This record gives sequence, structure tokens and C-alpha cells, in this order.
Amino acid sequence: MKTSELLRLVFINITQNKFKTIMTSIGIIVGAATIVMVIAIGKGGQADVAEQFKNLNAGAIDISYEGEGTDSSSGSSSSESGGMPSGGGMPSGGSSSNGSSSSSSGGGGGMPSGGGPSGGGDSGGMQMFDFGSMFGSSSSMEDRINQEKVTLTEDDVDDITTFVGGISDATITFTTKSDIEGGELDEAASYTIAGVKSNYITISNLEMTVGDFITDSDDENKEKVCILGASVAKEIFGSAIDAYGSVIYIDSRLYVVNGVLEEMGSVASGISPDEAIFIPYDTGIKYLVGDDVNPTVTVIAEDVDNVDAVIEDVTNLLTESYPNTEFTYSDAGSKMEAASASNDILTMLLMAMAAIVFIVGGIGIMNVLFVSVKERTNEIGILKAIGGSQRSIMFEFLLEAAAISLIGGTLGLLVSLVVAPVAETLGASVLLTPSAFVIAMIFAVGTGTIFGIYPAYKASALVPVEALSAE
Amino acid sequence: MAIIELKNINKYYDAAGDEKLHVLKDINLEVQKGEYLAILGPSGSGKSTLMNIIGCMDHMSDGYYCLDGELIHEAKEKDLVRIRNEKIGFIFQKYHLIPTYNVLQNIVMPLLMRGMTLNEARERSVDTIDMLGLGQRITHKPNELSGGQQQRVAIARALVGEPAILLADEPTGALDRNSGLEVLKLFKRLNDMGNTIVMITHDADVATHAQRTVKIVDGEIFEL
Ligand SMILES: Nc1ncnc2c1ncn2[C@@H]1O[C@H](COP(=O)(O)OP(=O)(O)OP(=O)(O)O)[C@@H](O)[C@H]1O
Ligand SMILES: [Mg+2]
Repeated sequence: MKTSELLRLVFINITQNKFKTIMTSIGIIVGAATIVMVIAIGKGGQADVAEQFKNLNAGAIDISYEGEGTDSSSGSSSSESGGMPSGGGMPSGGSSSNGSSSSSSGGGGGMPSGGGPSGGGDSGGMQMFDFGSMFGSSSSMEDRINQEKVTLTEDDVDDITTFVGGISDATITFTTKSDIEGGELDEAASYTIAGVKSNYITISNLEMTVGDFITDSDDENKEKVCILGASVAKEIFGSAIDAYGSVIYIDSRLYVVNGVLEEMGSVASGISPDEAIFIPYDTGIKYLVGDDVNPTVTVIAEDVDNVDAVIEDVTNLLTESYPNTEFTYSDAGSKMEAASASNDILTMLLMAMAAIVFIVGGIGIMNVLFVSVKERTNEIGILKAIGGSQRSIMFEFLLEAAAISLIGGTLGLLVSLVVAPVAETLGASVLLTPSAFVIAMIFAVGTGTIFGIYPAYKASALVPVEALSAE
Repeated sequence: MAIIELKNINKYYDAAGDEKLHVLKDINLEVQKGEYLAILGPSGSGKSTLMNIIGCMDHMSDGYYCLDGELIHEAKEKDLVRIRNEKIGFIFQKYHLIPTYNVLQNIVMPLLMRGMTLNEARERSVDTIDMLGLGQRITHKPNELSGGQQQRVAIARALVGEPAILLADEPTGALDRNSGLEVLKLFKRLNDMGNTIVMITHDADVATHAQRTVKIVDGEIFEL
């Protein structure tokens, strides 16, 4: 039979049996839409992870000093250091393994607190902080040698860039909290202040909305200038444009707003740029934190696979400068890995769900097609009786099943286009991708065709009289 | 000239137990070109079984069968497909039209199977459609037609490929008396035009319309 005539017959069959076509399609529609959604939610999760880490360089390594009582055995959970005015300064309890990421964001060390003087106030300080003494007393006694104040400096950064190979950039930052006045603020409000170098903007993948980031000369001359995060600019001045060129008071000193950053959204770790005010590092040292600074050095490994080697080299180098001092290393790569690993688990669960949908949907499609082809065994008998070959009969049913699957698949994709925004408003992160459509389409057409052709094959293999007498 | 030549045809069906059901017993039959033959027999005698074998719709268990020069008993499925399409026009008791297709589409199916386009097939079938008085009905669906009309569509479909023989298994069995007589008149006309016809019936009156009648009783054939 001519293919054009075959297609005509297929068209007649599909349009003449609209109800059956729709019933057959429903399984395919649901299957295809589910697959698109499952993939979209998986991709959405991946995009979420990528979004959270977008200010992080995969090769970034944060190096910080956690506090005088550094001791790996100290399991204290007390160092929710970020917001506590004195937490970071706690003499012994302040170090904890799980505190590493939060204190690399500058909370712990950056406190200009008087609470943690390194000198002799040890026992007194400990009595003031119950849980510090509970967890850390014995170890802190043994670790006298570490009680000297340790502060990473720009010289350390220079040493690292000079002597450690395989790094593309390095910078030093600190954060602190300070009262801000100015703009539309009615009263002083506390904001995170970050002291940074000019290269911080590239290391953290930030963009300016307006103005320029901190320059080297700002830093050298200890200029009182600042760059506002997007949210900060909105809160204090209403908009980035209004903020640009205005002044704010940080700790009662006047700073000129030299620029405003592009909005970044929430980030997984490090300084949250939207919520921070950036000032030149040396300016901050001079006017805000002084000797109490506990900065974080960030090193960028050129090659992400090289991060461990870089950490080792940096450790060796710092051990020369600071014998018997343990620094905390936190590399972005492993954080990203952890996050994407948990997202991978989610994706795998979704894939398992998709597989179940595949199977259940496939069985549904198979049943409907089986019944509808069975009903047509008589028709297959007629076709055979008037001289239709098994091949042409199967080809007709194949085309029909493929066409129905194609219709069902297309409708399924359309359904997913409707469902996706709904799912998004319900809080799921959904990312529709062309590959999801392709996979869903392949599934739809594949299952529909295979399950449609099999009963047709069985029926057309019968001798005509058997197919005809089947009721 | 014999267009159908059957020699020692046997047909067994598997039955319950070891016994085989012997439905056709050493059938010998010749049908000449242009002949109009009726096969008469009671229900269950094996008429349809014989007809299905003649129409290449079923396998014989053993025997020799030559149809218009083709040796059916040793033909491959591929050849049988062609033979069914080109040499045989089969008319069923229950019409067996395809319900989704209209009258025209049903009639031209055998021609489409040969690779004709719908337009070519339509042209080829105009005369047949006219002869059967179906011109007004070509866009109707089978379920919109009376039994007699449906049987005429089935006859048109059997005729349109200009087969070597027309086989009809109880063509009047589902029709009322008048429609049945019309079909029989039509067969007479088709036979007068040169068509070879083999018709099955259990009704002796119907058989009288044919030139020749053979009787089949319990799987054995008798010339009358
Ligand atoms: N597929 C089959 N399997 C087993 N036995 C069968 C099969 N088809 C027919 N028979 C048996 O073969 C015998 C002949 O059947 P057949 O259909 O040829 O009779 P018939 O003469 O056409 O009868 P009727 O006038 O009722 O149509 C019957 O006994 C029937 O039961
Ligand atoms: Mg019968």
C-alpha cells in the first residue's frame, strides 16, 4: 500500500474514533507531563544549588583562625558566632568543627569584642560563659601555646601568592557589625560591614549596578568610601541611584557611597552581598576593628582538582609563620559537592518516581492499546482476507499508535507547561529544559508505539479466518 | 478449463482428547472457468471450512489445490497474500465491512492494497459502484446502511479487483427474502458477464440459482 494512502487511513481512524484516541492518549499525556515535571524539578534543584553558590568560586579556599583555644577535640556547639557580640571572643569554647563555615563568613573573628582578650583573663572569662567552661576548659589549659594572638595579615596573603603555586588570586577580608546612620534611616541600625580588597569583586563574582568597586588606592589611602549591597541601598536610600554619591555614617564616621552592587539573592556561604556594606580593608582596620580583627584569607586555586594540594601548601607556609597554630580551611568545592550531592539524591528519588510513572503509565498505555487493537482483530482479519500483508497491516497500526502517542505526548508537554508555573507558585523550583521535552516525547512515542504494535503483530500473524472469527 | 482443482483435501481440527476432528474428508472438486457452483449442505457439514480453504483463508491439513495455475498447497504466505488480493473475491455472510471507513473506502481497499492511489482506485471502481447502485451512498458508513446495502458493498469490494473467482459463504444468510433474491439476481448477472462463482448455502432453493450444485454431508462431497 502506498504510504500516502496508509497515512490517509491512519488519519481517518484517528479522527473517526476520537473518543478512543483521547482515552488512549490520557495515559500518554499523564506520563509525558510527569516526566517533564520530574526532570524540571530535578533541574530546578540543581539550578537552586548553582544559584546559592554563584558568588563562590569553585576553587575558593577560606582560611581563618577560629580562636585561641583551637583544639580539634572541642565539640562545642556554642559558636553560633555570627550574631553574638561576644561569642567569637570566647577564649576556649569558641572553636568548633561545625562552626567553620559560619566563622569563615567573618562572624567569629571579626568581633571587636572585649570578651575574649587573650591574656590572663582566662578563668574569669570562663566563669562568665557557662558552656564555654563545660566544654572547653581542660583542653584550653593544655593549649597555652596557642594563646598568643594570631591574626592573618596582608603579608600572609603576599606570602601565599608568592610561594604557593597553582593559585590564581588571593584576598583578605573581615566582617563586623556596626551602627549605621544616614539616608532615610530614622535611627541608627546595625549592619554587616565587610572590609575587602579591590579584587574581592572578581573573586566573589559580584557585579556593580552603579559606580565602581573599592580600588587599590581607596585601600592604600584608607579612604572612607563604601559600596552598598543591593538590599542595604534600598533600605537606607530607597534605590541604588539615590544611594550613589550619598553619604552614610559608619560608627559615626562619614563614608561616601561609591557604588551599589547588583542584587545577588541568597548565597550559601560567605558574606551575603545584598546585606553588607563593603569598605576598603585598611580603612576598616584603621577606623573600625583595629587589632581585634580576625580576618579570613581567601585563596583561589586555579584548578578545582588541585584544591587539596593548595591547602597543603598553604598550611605548610602558614606553619612557618605561625607555629603550632591550626587554621580552619573551608573550600567552596567540597561545600558545593555536598550541596549538589544532596540535590543528586533528590534527583535520584525523582528519577525513581519517574521510573514508576514510566512503568505504570506504560502498563496503562499497553492496556488501552491492547484492548483497542483486540477490538480490531476482526478488522485485521478483513484486511488479511482482501489481501493485506502482515507488513502493511502492522505498518498501519504502527503509524496509528505512533500518531496517537505523538498527539498524547504533545498534549502532555502542553499540560506540563501549564502545571510548571502552578508548581512554582506552590514553592517548588522548576526548570523546564528542552532535554526534558525530548525525553518525555521519546518515552511517549516509544511506549505508545511498542505497546500498540505488539497486539497488532499478534493479530496480523493469525490466518485470516482466525482473525475474522475472533469476537 | 478448470480454475479450481481440489484433490484429496483433508482438514482436521484438534479436539478434546486424542481424537482429531476430521472435518473435510478427501474432497475432490473441480470448478470450470465461468461456472456458477453452489455447495449445499446442512449446518456443521464443513461448508465454511472448505470455502475458507478455497479462499486461501485457512490451511488445509493435506491435499492438492491448484487455483488459476497457482499451487496453493505449497504456496508461501507472501504468495497467498497476493493471491487473496488478485484472484479471490470473498463475500461473507456477515458482510465484514470496516466500520470506520465509508462505502467508497471499503470498496477500494483491495485496490489500495495493490498500491493504487485513492484517485486511481476510485476511477477503477466507478463502474462496479454504479452497477451495484451504490453511487448515492459512497460517503455513508456501513452502520448507516441496510443489510442488503451492506452486502452489496461487500460484493462491490469483492468485484473491484477483478478476481478469478468470487466466493460467497451464505451471502443471503443474514438478509430477508427480497434482499436475498436481489443478491442472487446479481450473482446471476455477474455470472452471465463471465465471472466464476462458488456459493455456499444450506438452502436448496438458493442453490437452484446456480448452474451446478454439489452436496457436502459430514465432510464428504457428492456430485448431484
Ligand atoms: N476452529 C475450529 N476448531 C475446531 N473445530 C472447528 C473449527 N471450525 C469449525 N470446526 C468444526 O468443523 C465442523 C465444520 O464447521 P463449518 O464451519 O465448516 O460448518 P458449516 O458447514 O459452515 O456450518 P454452518 O452452516 O453452520 O456455517 C463443525 O463441526 C465445527 O464444529
Ligand atoms: Mg458456515
